[in-house]
Amino acid sequence: MVQSAKPTANTWCPGCGDFGVLAAAKKAILDLKIPPHEAVLVGGIGCSGGIHNFIDINGVHALHGRLLAQAIGLKLANPQLTVIAAGGDGDGYAIGMGHFMHAFKKNASILYIVMNNETYGLTKGQASPTSRLGFEGNIEVPFDAILTALSIPSGAFVARTFSGDPKTMTAVLSEALQFNRDHRGYAFVEDLSPCVTYNDTFKEWREKIVNIEKLPGYDPTDRSAVFRLCSETMRAGKIPVGVMHRPPKPTDESSNPLELKLLPDNIGPARADIGLEHNLAAYRTLLASAG
Amino acid sequence: MSIPASQAPAHPADTESAQRRPPKELADVSVIVGGQGGDGTLTVVDLLGRYFRKRGLYVYTSRNTLSRIRGGHADANVRACRDPRAAIKAKADLLLAFDQEAIDVARPELDADALVLYDSTSFKADFPNALGFPFATLAGGQLGQPIYKNTAAYGAITVLMGFDDAVARQVIEERFKRRGAEALDKNLKALEIGRHVTLEVPSAVNRWTLAEGDAHELILTTGNQATALGFVVGGGRFFAGYPITPATEIMEYLMRYLPNYHGVVRQGEDELASINMVIGAATTGARAMTSTSGPGLSLMTEGIGHAGTAEVGVLIADCQRVGPSTGQPTRHEQSDLAHLAHLGHGEFPKFILSPGSAEDCFYLTVDALNLAEKWRLPVILLLDQALCQNASTVPAFDLTRVKVERPSVLSAEQVAKLDTYKQYAFTTHGPAPFAPLGTPGVTSQITGNEHDEWGHVSVNPVNRHKMMEQRMGKLLWARDELPRPRYFGQKEARVGLVGYGSTSGPILEAMDLLDTEGIVTKYLQARTLFPVQQETLGPFLDSVDYAFIVEHNYTGQLARLIREEMPQYHSKLRSILKYDGYSFRAPDIAAPIREAVHGSKR
Repeated sequence: MVQSAKPTANTWCPGCGDFGVLAAAKKAILDLKIPPHEAVLVGGIGCSGGIHNFIDINGVHALHGRLLAQAIGLKLANPQLTVIAAGGDGDGYAIGMGHFMHAFKKNASILYIVMNNETYGLTKGQASPTSRLGFEGNIEVPFDAILTALSIPSGAFVARTFSGDPKTMTAVLSEALQFNRDHRGYAFVEDLSPCVTYNDTFKEWREKIVNIEKLPGYDPTDRSAVFRLCSETMRAGKIPVGVMHRPPKPTDESSNPLELKLLPDNIGPARADIGLEHNLAAYRTLLASAG
Repeated sequence: MSIPASQAPAHPADTESAQRRPPKELADVSVIVGGQGGDGTLTVVDLLGRYFRKRGLYVYTSRNTLSRIRGGHADANVRACRDPRAAIKAKADLLLAFDQEAIDVARPELDADALVLYDSTSFKADFPNALGFPFATLAGGQLGQPIYKNTAAYGAITVLMGFDDAVARQVIEERFKRRGAEALDKNLKALEIGRHVTLEVPSAVNRWTLAEGDAHELILTTGNQATALGFVVGGGRFFAGYPITPATEIMEYLMRYLPNYHGVVRQGEDELASINMVIGAATTGARAMTSTSGPGLSLMTEGIGHAGTAEVGVLIADCQRVGPSTGQPTRHEQSDLAHLAHLGHGEFPKFILSPGSAEDCFYLTVDALNLAEKWRLPVILLLDQALCQNASTVPAFDLTRVKVERPSVLSAEQVAKLDTYKQYAFTTHGPAPFAPLGTPGVTSQITGNEHDEWGHVSVNPVNRHKMMEQRMGKLLWARDELPRPRYFGQKEARVGLVGYGSTSGPILEAMDLLDTEGIVTKYLQARTLFPVQQETLGPFLDSVDYAFIVEHNYTGQLARLIREEMPQYHSKLRSILKYDGYSFRAPDIAAPIREAVHGSKR
């Protein structure tokens, strides 16, 4: 066995909500028997983005806000890889917002986990896009990623979990990863992951979360119904969690994820034979068509 | 022989009195076609280009368009020459004008003897030497559609230049055969309409004849197309980009080419996404590229720095245009070099390569792919608008000159024989070989943070010092492998020229011009701009009394870069600069050299 990069010692504050995500992700990868070399975790910038250091699969530390672009590039270059992007709410919803929206539109089969703690923890507690009114002087409307995700007509799997409930989180991440590995499309999971140092919301969130799946009228294939349930829950001062969108199995090729649309034979750029000998005849035809 | 303007036919009615002259043979002809967007000017240029090529002449075409979809003044220029010329001819011989604006815009570009052929349907040309036919009226009357006025005008030119009838028709057939029988038929009729009216004007018939050339085995291509083709044969399989003039065609060509080779092309939501998709793809071992221009390059700078320190080999084609900000999107400049040479925050290695012709674009793109992957760093292919979008005839691309070499990529079999695999192992000679993400048996950590050999984040000062030397050392270790300049001119010349990119065309023409006056020069066409190639520039500069650095910007960016790295040559360097959005014509370069040489003799 070749010795290669191994996980490093964890650097998060004791009690950080991100530990819940790390444990759930490890368990899901083990349960699905994904070989370490076939999985890549692309981390963003911020405490949560360091997660790629602490798990025994390939890790990529991307630029702030650009993790989705790198993750999608990875997936399209080698569609056989299981690709997870993971970062914080500042990374995903502030500097990375453009890519956040377009990831739904692109619909490549990758999993994006946002560890939302409603603050910029690593830079010591500034307001983030999800910070409530008044937090560190925040006077801007808090962003809600689930309502936004539900409003995009995509075939994405969408869920929200809570770090205080690792069992449910493991089940959700397993389902999301399997969704990806079946080439069903994009999966987005927002985890409520309190920052115990700058915004310790464990107790508050535990009291406020409502499992959307238990509400009357819940139908995970009906985005508008779930949107309504979420809005009503939020109006009541609660926080909806659970699987928000579980698209039905596609019945035609138009709902195929990006990698299958581009690479129907599942051989991507990374596995293409680029040797000259292999391609000589095709290249001759190509060059003859030029000019 | 020239035609006195007073004798030239200004209007068909004037022509009966015009005298009959023996035709002037053209071995170097330039035609401008101008009008409003939608007048079909580009079609005429295309038809002429096809005919000229069949005549064995070298062809060079350029477009002058505005950044809008329809309308507005548009003109295009086609040059045909017995010698290989990759530049716009200083003065045009013929202007085909569809409106007065076309004449007013082109006036400074016209030779003293030039003829203006124009569509007299709606205006009478304000130009001394003009010949008008109502092409739109004729096409409208006989074909029912005035839009065939452009092909009718081509018909007139075939008479003016004494084209072979059959070949002139063949050109129409080749151009329109895919548009259906009706389009082909009407264009052939339009050709005859234009021929017919022109044949009635004796002074117009065979006004010129065309020299015959021997350049028959050439292809007509642009730098953008050649770059896209080079990318494919060089093993490039992943492309992401954002539409931007004048780079977009690279993406469009690859959208056509790459799906046939398990390749992927994605249009990103912006340049940030594009460069980062490319970086992500490259970590899997795919050869990946993006192309952009100034505004996009500014956005990509963050990602390029990341690729430099994370040691991910990627290729960035920068098709320079007028900057800064949105600048002039469709116009020519070489003003990104200073930014690129000092790219980004922090320090990281990169190579900047520049091809000097459309042909060079093909081969240098292959080299750039090999170098980016081997040395695991960003390589910038520095192009410019004229190189990207002007079409020139070049020798067909030769696959025997293409090599795909992957010395830094570890296969699963190679990895299995290792005891340890470190993504960022220290070496004393070059990059550490890497296993693409997904290689069985190993996992990697890839990061833009400073890291140790495993790819783990590190703030250890000893490690930081060594890592900096490992990465920056590539600029020294790779020197012998970087593309060499091309040299032109007389070895013994004491006057040197240095340039890169599309300036090569006008520089070579200016040298020929000077040569006829007894001014002997030589030219170093730089193909590696960074790291500054002291080992080639030094001996060249030693061998001349002074050297003119020819470039399209205000501050003399290449000259400054050479001065910065090689201050000992400071007093030998002189700049020839142009920053009006137009590319050099040969006399622009010859004039200051002539002045300097004669001045120095005084």
